Amino acid sequence: MTKYVLKRLLHGAVSIILVVTIVMLLVYGLMDRTKIFVTDGNYNKQVNNNRVTYRYRRWEDFGYLDYVPYADYINELARNGELDEESRNEAVTIGRADDGSNDSELAAQYIKQFTDEYTAKGYTVTRLKAVVVRNKLADGGQPALFAYKDNSLLKRLWTYFADLFYIDNIHYVPDDVDIGKRGLTFTLYDPLKVDPETGAKKFSPAIIGNGTMNKYLLYFNDKFPFIHQNFLTIHLGTSFSVTQGVDVFKTMTQSQGSWTQSMITYPTGNTTLSADDLHTATYAAGSLESNPLNAGKFVDDYTNVSAVRVSMSRMGFSFLIGIISTILVYVIGLPVGVLMARYKDGILDKVGTVYIMFISAVPSLAYIFMFKGLGRAMGLPVTFDMDNTTKLMYVLPIVSLMLPSVASMMKWMRRYMIDQMNSDYVKFARSTGMSETGIFFKHVMKISAIPIVQGIPGSLLFAMTGALITERVYLVPGAGGLLIDAINQYDNAVIVGVAMFYAILSVLSLILGDVLMATVDPRISFTDKAR
Amino acid sequence: MEDFSKKYNMSDEELFSVIDHNDLESEKITAPRYSYWKSVFRVFFRNKVNIVVLVCLAILVAFAYIYPTVIGYDPQVDPFVNIADTGALHLSPQKAIDHFGFELKWIFGTGGTGASTFNSIWNGSRISISLAIICAAINMTIGILLGAIWGFSRRVDIIMNEVYNVLGNIPSMLITAVLVMIFSPSFWTLVFAMTILGWMGMAYYIRTRVIIIRDHEYNLASRCLGTNIFKIALKNILPFMTSVIVLEIAAAIPGYISSEVFLSYIGLGMSEASLGRLIYEAQNAMVTPGWGWEFWTPVAVASVITVVLYVTGQNLGDASDPRTHM
Repeated sequence: MTKYVLKRLLHGAVSIILVVTIVMLLVYGLMDRTKIFVTDGNYNKQVNNNRVTYRYRRWEDFGYLDYVPYADYINELARNGELDEESRNEAVTIGRADDGSNDSELAAQYIKQFTDEYTAKGYTVTRLKAVVVRNKLADGGQPALFAYKDNSLLKRLWTYFADLFYIDNIHYVPDDVDIGKRGLTFTLYDPLKVDPETGAKKFSPAIIGNGTMNKYLLYFNDKFPFIHQNFLTIHLGTSFSVTQGVDVFKTMTQSQGSWTQSMITYPTGNTTLSADDLHTATYAAGSLESNPLNAGKFVDDYTNVSAVRVSMSRMGFSFLIGIISTILVYVIGLPVGVLMARYKDGILDKVGTVYIMFISAVPSLAYIFMFKGLGRAMGLPVTFDMDNTTKLMYVLPIVSLMLPSVASMMKWMRRYMIDQMNSDYVKFARSTGMSETGIFFKHVMKISAIPIVQGIPGSLLFAMTGALITERVYLVPGAGGLLIDAINQYDNAVIVGVAMFYAILSVLSLILGDVLMATVDPRISFTDKAR
Repeated sequence: MEDFSKKYNMSDEELFSVIDHNDLESEKITAPRYSYWKSVFRVFFRNKVNIVVLVCLAILVAFAYIYPTVIGYDPQVDPFVNIADTGALHLSPQKAIDHFGFELKWIFGTGGTGASTFNSIWNGSRISISLAIICAAINMTIGILLGAIWGFSRRVDIIMNEVYNVLGNIPSMLITAVLVMIFSPSFWTLVFAMTILGWMGMAYYIRTRVIIIRDHEYNLASRCLGTNIFKIALKNILPFMTSVIVLEIAAAIPGYISSEVFLSYIGLGMSEASLGRLIYEAQNAMVTPGWGWEFWTPVAVASVITVVLYVTGQNLGDASDPRTHM
């Protein structure tokens, strides 16, 4: 069994890598790059050479290529002490002509050095001459010099999978930064749980790091799942345009909505009304000095905190709605399917068949809108609002999500029951004088449990990915909307990240389904010997 | 025993004659004449509902394919667009008839460009039905052919199972959406996006059916007698599959229309004015009081089209199952 699961996991890993490769190939390789500027308002404001450099800057942001402007190169040299301020200014100024005829001597020397160095590295060096109108520089017409190189697929894949997991360690902060004694401290009394007035400690184990990325590596709080860790961070891809600069995994899992403020005691001892969650503090170099606001709150550079928000995460919403609707699918679909088979050609069977036909044939969008209209007529809330606490707003998304699954469950169960009822073992049981109800509960139900159990993880997954349309119709802030947002805004990294996320979920649910099936059915064995 | 010679008043010689033994004739087995397709249609038309459904289908096809050609419909030009006539935008049927006078094309009102919703719907239906039929044709052809080979050859089975295990994990919605994003959103892009992995489910289904039937005794006997594999596939196995294939197609065509509508709704549809595109463009009109017609009529027509296609297919599938031919 373990061997089989390992084999399946290996298969799954291969599929996940393949999915990411395919999506990367599609997104970075096949898509017309200029498409990202279609919806970009800034792009149309840029003219002449500025437009060209803007284009390359954006392409670098979206992960297409590596772009090095000449000025960055010179500034880097100046920082390393190779150039002083005066010669830096001279070297960075490039002439108007693109053949180098009006460069100063020093500039010409460094331009040559830049060109040679980057050409040797495989970059393409481009020089744009100044755009001059009546002897004056035109708007955005400054001469430009830069080098660029497309990122190769292999390199991109390698960096993606290498950066996937980050294990926090005490060498996160650069070694030349004096941060005091580096190391991990284990405490039974979380310093953040100390009562500011009485000074009373509260039992709450925590691991605190110094030199690490996160200050709190392990802690307890009153939020699900109560114990939290920061040792391992997952990076699925950093968003560029959808949620600026935030990782896909974090976007999926962090809480949303408006801030919840409470009295917070900062490490300096100041107590104010704030929404800061001090447990999430991460290192930001030099932030204590550069931001005067931090001085009153913090005692070290671990100042980057996220806010406590009122609502669940995207995953949380999708999962909650998905789980409830899946449970309802089984609770409603199974008995109705059984009754339809039991009273075949009866009134319930006829109504059920019409319902199944309706759901299979009519476009999902159409019936979801029909039910939305029906819900509105009944006075149910039709849009989701995170700051609203009414539970009624969950009703319509859950109902819409379960409509198609209930139909397929009924269809499958009815078919299955009819087949079983005509099988030999049921006929035998009937001939012994057993009642129909007895046959059902003693024999048929046990057998039918096997495929039902196998389908549970899959239907949970379907509830999450299939929620795309319901989440959009009812404005649920769930995980499904992220992919559509990313596609509409050409946020390549998010598309890759979401693809990866769904691939992992679907692989796990398939494996889990088979393992569950093997646990309930003694006849199924995945070991080679048994075959 | 009756005495025939007395009854008919003829001698035995006149009544009976001796027939020579004929080897060829004695081999003939008399059975009722059975033609598969004739029986399919006999069973299909025995159900009177099917005649009604077929008439509906004929009307829908006529409106979708013939009506736009007859009126020379072009979504870009006058007199089909009344964008300059500000009084003609977003009209309900009653207002449209008051505005323009009674004509068939105004019975669904007008849309955001002042165009007749009735005309746009049928033009959109033509595009959506064509898309569904083309996708179904491609996926089913590839699926059936590949599935048959997959089921027959054990070597292919090993390779294809690995491919299926890997590619089957990819959410198809994801690939479709990414492909639509990458290429310009046209009709053929959508066909490409929906068929690149769409054949897979069908191929796997056919593979499983073929494996079940392949090892039955009668096929073993047939192989022992030297029948070649193509003949076995064509004569012994295909007839068993006709009804399941028809049922699959019946479910697939409405499915493609449904996906097209869905993709358009999330803004990933094609640029042509398909049904999905109409629904997408009328999204905002839905919440404006009095503009609901331009949203609900395409939704309703899409539903009618898919239901009619589905019912026709299901019943044809049932009729093509030889077990119903008794």
